[in-house]
Amino acid sequence: MTAIVGAGLAVVMFGPRGAVAPRGCVVVEYWDKFTGYEANQMRRIVNAFNRTVGRRRHIFVRYFSVSDIQQKVLISTASGVPPDVAGMWEADIIPYAALGALTPLGKYAKQYGITSKTYLPVYWRQCHYHGHLYALVCNPMALALLYNKQIFKRDATKLRAAGLNPNEPPRTISQLDRYARVLTKFGPHHQLVRVGFLPLIGSDASLLYLWFGGQAWNPRNSRFTLTSPAIIRTYRWIASYSRWLGPSRVLAFESALGQFDSPQDPFISGQLVMEMQGPWWADAIWHLKPSMSTLHWPKKAELKMPLAQRVKNYAWAYAPFPSAVPGLKDVTFAGFDSLVIPRGARHPRQAFAFIAYVNRQKVMEHLCMMHSTNSPLRKVSRNFLDHSPNPYIDVFEKLARSPNAHAWPRIPIIRQFNNEMTVAAERVALLQATPRQALAEAQRRLQREYDEYEADARLRRK
Amino acid sequence: MATSRSELRNLVKGLAFLSPWMIGFAAFTAIPIGLSAYFSLCNYPLLQPPVFVGAQNYTDLVHDGVFWQSLWNTLYYALLALPLGMAIAIGAALLLNSKIRGLSIYRTLIFLPSLTPAVAGAMIWLWLFNSKLGLINLVLQKLGVAHPPGWLVSPRWAMPSLALMSFWGIGNTVVIYLAGLQDVPRELYEAAEIDGAGGLDRIWHVTLPCISPVIFFNLVMAVIGVVQNFTAPYIMTGGGPARATYFYTMYLYDNAFRYLRMGYASAMAWVQFLLVLALTGLAFWSARHWVHYQGR
Repeated sequence: MTAIVGAGLAVVMFGPRGAVAPRGCVVVEYWDKFTGYEANQMRRIVNAFNRTVGRRRHIFVRYFSVSDIQQKVLISTASGVPPDVAGMWEADIIPYAALGALTPLGKYAKQYGITSKTYLPVYWRQCHYHGHLYALVCNPMALALLYNKQIFKRDATKLRAAGLNPNEPPRTISQLDRYARVLTKFGPHHQLVRVGFLPLIGSDASLLYLWFGGQAWNPRNSRFTLTSPAIIRTYRWIASYSRWLGPSRVLAFESALGQFDSPQDPFISGQLVMEMQGPWWADAIWHLKPSMSTLHWPKKAELKMPLAQRVKNYAWAYAPFPSAVPGLKDVTFAGFDSLVIPRGARHPRQAFAFIAYVNRQKVMEHLCMMHSTNSPLRKVSRNFLDHSPNPYIDVFEKLARSPNAHAWPRIPIIRQFNNEMTVAAERVALLQATPRQALAEAQRRLQREYDEYEADARLRRK
Repeated sequence: MATSRSELRNLVKGLAFLSPWMIGFAAFTAIPIGLSAYFSLCNYPLLQPPVFVGAQNYTDLVHDGVFWQSLWNTLYYALLALPLGMAIAIGAALLLNSKIRGLSIYRTLIFLPSLTPAVAGAMIWLWLFNSKLGLINLVLQKLGVAHPPGWLVSPRWAMPSLALMSFWGIGNTVVIYLAGLQDVPRELYEAAEIDGAGGLDRIWHVTLPCISPVIFFNLVMAVIGVVQNFTAPYIMTGGGPARATYFYTMYLYDNAFRYLRMGYASAMAWVQFLLVLALTGLAFWSARHWVHYQGR
């Protein structure tokens, strides 16, 4: 007993502690949502800053891995004790900026030479609200089609019989549907054993309209356009899968799926052949099922090979997600994890020194390579393109640079938008409502919420 | 004068000893309650000062379809979970009150799940409800059910699944019933037996009336509990599919912390308080007809 108490005391007195700031340094508190291996990757960047720029400028960044970050930043900002740097989702920039909860970063960015020429337009635009810069990017992404090459190969005969090329991904939505039909497998009781593709598994239902050429928001008259033909067509497409497979069969299949981002994830377990995904998933697959990324050679050896050779090492591949509109190419949604300085942060200048460090080309590429993501910067090095652990990084670089790279509608009620669009998609997939009914309902609710938000904002300005 | 001075000194001492509680109560209960009442009359996005809007939040609630849906979902869950949960708890308590071998082991087993943290319990049940790998469907298939339900992903079965899961934590209630059962006078059973009452008659005419105050207590606590149900649906279904398990507290939480509408959420909290008050009042009113206190 004495030994246990003694050991406990020893741990308390001499055991591991959080990083200790050198004397005389300004301590910058940095909260981010990354956990596990992603948190460790971010910590490496923080440590590198503390060793270099931080040491020179007497700044010490202390990283905290924070769950439910949106809520915690909200409460700490409202109480006047926010962190100096917070890692938030891009969807929160406008709602927070609209309420004056973020520090404008324009003057700091200017000092560090960070301008629109530094960034790809789709990311740069999202960092702004009403002409002010409120955030910079730390972990970008673009959505693409992820498909299981091995299953394509295994079912090559069937695909060829259906007039489809097993060595190529689908290029249009109608091709995607045909691939999905061939690759879907039924069990002895007609239950779904594997699906080629399902619109609501892996994809964000509130964004699918982008690939149908739709726009959900008209900024000129501040009105949602959810019942526009393109969006109704999107939701009809969602319903078509339920009509083909039957909602109860789809439900039975969905209920048997393991958790996303776990080794039981449907794509990783081979129950789903194609899905919409971001580049970071390459890193997740590597951590959750390394065998899918080392078919022929160990990772270290593969990284030294030319790209054309490297891709053979993978059971999966990325391609642009097919579009439903002829001629509409390289459509994507480009989102990111952002770095912001909440209003009331104690050390905004020092906080920005860290944000600017993360946005140096070399550091950003290092971070993006660790996360397997594309870079948000206009300039990328050859080394980055050739040696990213994600051998399909060129797909994402191309998508992020595309004129058809989109973002969330620029409205302060993005969370409600996401929620209403998802519920409408679920109702349509369950065949509880027609696309027009579900979208009209979502349109009515969202427009009312937006109008109320604007009325409240006007009241506040008075 | 001397007496009043000593009284005053005692009063000061008493207040000093009470002050930790009083300060805590004021800071963490009384003031927040008062503020929430005020915020419910304001437009308050949390990151900016509240602006008084009168009863606007309450009138908006009346026209909010999701508010009514979440309210209905909560009441539907209450209708499923409350009576069944109480019946199961009473049944378990009656069984655990009998004299059988290993009784303390059974009692411990019944009580143990209620010690499991809500999040851990929800994760376990997520797997149990998994239609392919879950234990529940495995047993159903062994029993010959060819197409067992999709449980949490089916709009029809999601709510009954959550109600079913709630029975897992009845251990606390069972312990309270057990305490009540120990208090039932033995002579009443003997008298009933002499009058020719069978086992079920004794339960109906002796046990249940005698423990009716305990049933009443558990009913009131359960009403308060089900109206506040949050953790399990938040983790297991996120309110889906298509808002089939979107509970009142989830909508309240979303308004407060996701949509930054603290005023609206505060109004919802006060409506919730009034709802609990009304349901508890109903229970108290009905208690006159079915709760029997010994010695009265």
